Amino acid sequence: MSKSVVLETRGLSKVFGGLVAVDRVDLAIETGEITAIIGPNGAGKTTLFNLITGVYPVSQGEMLFKGKLLNKVPPHKRAKLGIVRTFQHVHLFGNMTVLENVMTGQHPRSSYGFFEAALRLPKVHREEENITLKAMKYLNLVGLGTHVQQNALSLPLGQQKLLAIARALATEPQLILLDEPGAGLNILEKRELSDLVRRIREMGVTVVLVEHDMPLVMGLAEWVIVLDSGQKISEGTAAQVQKDRKVIAAYLGEEEV
Amino acid sequence: MSADQFVQYLVSGVTQGSIYALVALGFTMIYAVTRVINFAQGEFVMLGGMLSFTLASSVGLPLAPALILSVLAAAAVGVLMYMLAIRTARGASVVSLIIITIGAAIFIRGIAGELWGVDPVRPPAFSGHESLSFLGAYIHPQALWIIGTTLVVTVVLHLFLTYTMVGKALKACAINPVASSLVGINPRTMGLIAFAMAAALGGIGGVVMAPLTLATYNVGVMLGLKGFVAASIGGFKSQLAAVFGGLLLGIVESLAVGLDWGPFTSAYKDAIALVVLLLILLLRAGKLAEEERTS
Amino acid sequence: MLAKLKSKWYYSAFAVLLLLLVLLPFNWFLGHYTSLMIFIGISTMVTVGLCLLMGYTGQVSLGQAAFYGMGAYISAILSKSHGFNPWLAMLIAAAATGAFAYIIGYLIFRLRGNYLAMATLGLGLILYILFRQLGQFTGGPDGMAGIPYLSIGGLIFDTPFKRYFLVWFFCLAVLFISQNIVRSRTGRALRAVHGSEAAAESIGINVAQFKVKILVLSAVYASLAGSLFVHHLRFVSPQPFDFLASVVLVTMAVVGGLASIWGAIFGAATVRILSDELLLGFGEWDIAIYGLILMVVMIFMPEGLFVKIKEIFERWRLRYRRKGAET
Repeated sequence: MSKSVVLETRGLSKVFGGLVAVDRVDLAIETGEITAIIGPNGAGKTTLFNLITGVYPVSQGEMLFKGKLLNKVPPHKRAKLGIVRTFQHVHLFGNMTVLENVMTGQHPRSSYGFFEAALRLPKVHREEENITLKAMKYLNLVGLGTHVQQNALSLPLGQQKLLAIARALATEPQLILLDEPGAGLNILEKRELSDLVRRIREMGVTVVLVEHDMPLVMGLAEWVIVLDSGQKISEGTAAQVQKDRKVIAAYLGEEEV
Repeated sequence: MSADQFVQYLVSGVTQGSIYALVALGFTMIYAVTRVINFAQGEFVMLGGMLSFTLASSVGLPLAPALILSVLAAAAVGVLMYMLAIRTARGASVVSLIIITIGAAIFIRGIAGELWGVDPVRPPAFSGHESLSFLGAYIHPQALWIIGTTLVVTVVLHLFLTYTMVGKALKACAINPVASSLVGINPRTMGLIAFAMAAALGGIGGVVMAPLTLATYNVGVMLGLKGFVAASIGGFKSQLAAVFGGLLLGIVESLAVGLDWGPFTSAYKDAIALVVLLLILLLRAGKLAEEERTS
Repeated sequence: MLAKLKSKWYYSAFAVLLLLLVLLPFNWFLGHYTSLMIFIGISTMVTVGLCLLMGYTGQVSLGQAAFYGMGAYISAILSKSHGFNPWLAMLIAAAATGAFAYIIGYLIFRLRGNYLAMATLGLGLILYILFRQLGQFTGGPDGMAGIPYLSIGGLIFDTPFKRYFLVWFFCLAVLFISQNIVRSRTGRALRAVHGSEAAAESIGINVAQFKVKILVLSAVYASLAGSLFVHHLRFVSPQPFDFLASVVLVTMAVVGGLASIWGAIFGAATVRILSDELLLGFGEWDIAIYGLILMVVMIFMPEGLFVKIKEIFERWRLRYRRKGAET
């Protein structure tokens, strides 16, 4: 193996009542690569993300992060391990400013607790300064360095999505899962998004994204995994996957670019 | 406890439970159509009772018009509450709506306390006070009115929701508000109707109940709470389950007091409903959380 | 730069407030209101806890008076019936109430919205019934009298004048601590829970634990307030801890602004002055007015009356400054 595998799933399955949303999926995400997960609607892509981040408990199978079993790790502990995600519907903290949203992302990387906060010990001041500096760094990285004091929801959608990414990056992850980051963006914004994803990868973070926009995926991803009805039906480079007959068949009847 | 006593407690339980059932029907109606928990539901019952006393005893109207007017007045208060408080708070968060309906409840209660004072009032009974004998127990005729009215109301409500246009529209709104609005059902009108009907249901409960159990300005609190418990037994969706829940609660309360079981003295009677409530909420917590998240 | 100017303004406002607070009981006229101010201080302590729980963390409690009552009764019972040192009793009360909140929290915070509200209502009522019924311990519906004063060494807090400073010491400590928490990583975590639980969890915040922690803190605040309450009145009864009391507390929080720590003083003061001074002798009107306030504030200014006034004031200031720049 030339590179190491940061995330691996073996026979991963999720069943809701009678519906098999994820069906014995085996994945191996390589460190430092940009991987895309594509598939028609209802293929189980977001459910897969929810399993990896712990939102849903696993029905069957294993998930390994850097070789260690992830299944039983509570969802809130996964950010500290280095796994973070963004959401399809953004889910910003609407009761905070742009800056505060990103500062909150530093939660797993800061340490002072209730008592120290209550008494505002010097440790608090030091860490707060650190947190603010780091937050600004990530805001500048995504291009939101100005207007940081305004309410997060006052930003247009494209910038809200960037803010969500900045917040996720502030957790200093090793693996970031982007759930349809391009949805609702115009062509210019999508191009900036691609540049951003590449910058993230340059920082050493492994990126996995779920996307519907084919040109975006094909131009960005080094490895593509195709899901349909919960099963992995194909994987390979973007060029390989595009020619795979199974993939074309799965998308047949779907609006495709 | 002898068989006679058991029947007696059972009867009183069913009587009380019928009131809870009517309150629960109101809760369910409003929640199903508007997703609002109407903390003021119990106050409609109170208003029904108080108004029927004023109209029948103080003003001296004959019984039937007094009762009908009381129920209509309660429905009017429901409409007012919807228009002034719920409609204007469009887009408010769940917590805000809770506080608003609580505000409405205690506002109504305060006004009632001022208008009628703190002492209980007793409107005239519908058909006298001569207790009838039934399976070894004595049943007050008013209790028969209560149970009978609840039965009739439940059936009529069911028929209304199933067979009339308005009823079906209400049900549609409850099941899928977005789809309903797309086929021309105005959710605001539906909300108005739901509130008016729920208030009327409460009012009916009040007018049949007050001659037997008296009415005070603050009787709405516990009635509302117990009606809520009953409605929650049905998951706030099923009319039938709400009625069942109300009757069940009434019977359990009555029997617990009758059996004189450990701490269940009459002082703790109210606590029974609360414990049931907490049990239901805690046991169903997972499912309820899913509903809240998706709605 | 703007932040520094703003904070200078706030510091001076705070200093003025502090000065007024200190001088109040000495003043010939305002001194009449010392007792009222004691109640305002006590109510503020409970209200701040509610603000943290409801405004910042987005939860709801319709039974907060139960924690207030627990603190009151445990302090009363331990110090009067069992001769405990009142300070120790207060500490035990706070610990017990906090522990109770801890257990309750893990159970009920799986619920949300309406159902959570009902659960807190139910719990609050159960505790009220217990306060009323467990006569051997609590003195039943008529309550218990003869609760000792608090004292430090030789200083006995036997006059309203002395208790005023005691209560406001606690109150300001609570406000100070709460403001610190709000402006910290903990405060952001709480607000994140309010903003989006899913997102909060995804960035490493233990949502369930934070909800429970803030409930415990609010319960401890309420318990301390309850203890101070009984050592002020030297009497305890179930009546101040019923459902209406919980509603009044929510009213105070709502008027002051659910997400405003300092607004809690404003909310508590407004409601207390209304109920104790203006509405006396108006019978049940006070209940109607609470209801009206709740509705009007929640419909038209859900961020709170205090916060709304601040906003209006800010707008005036900007307009005035702009005018000044023009001339």
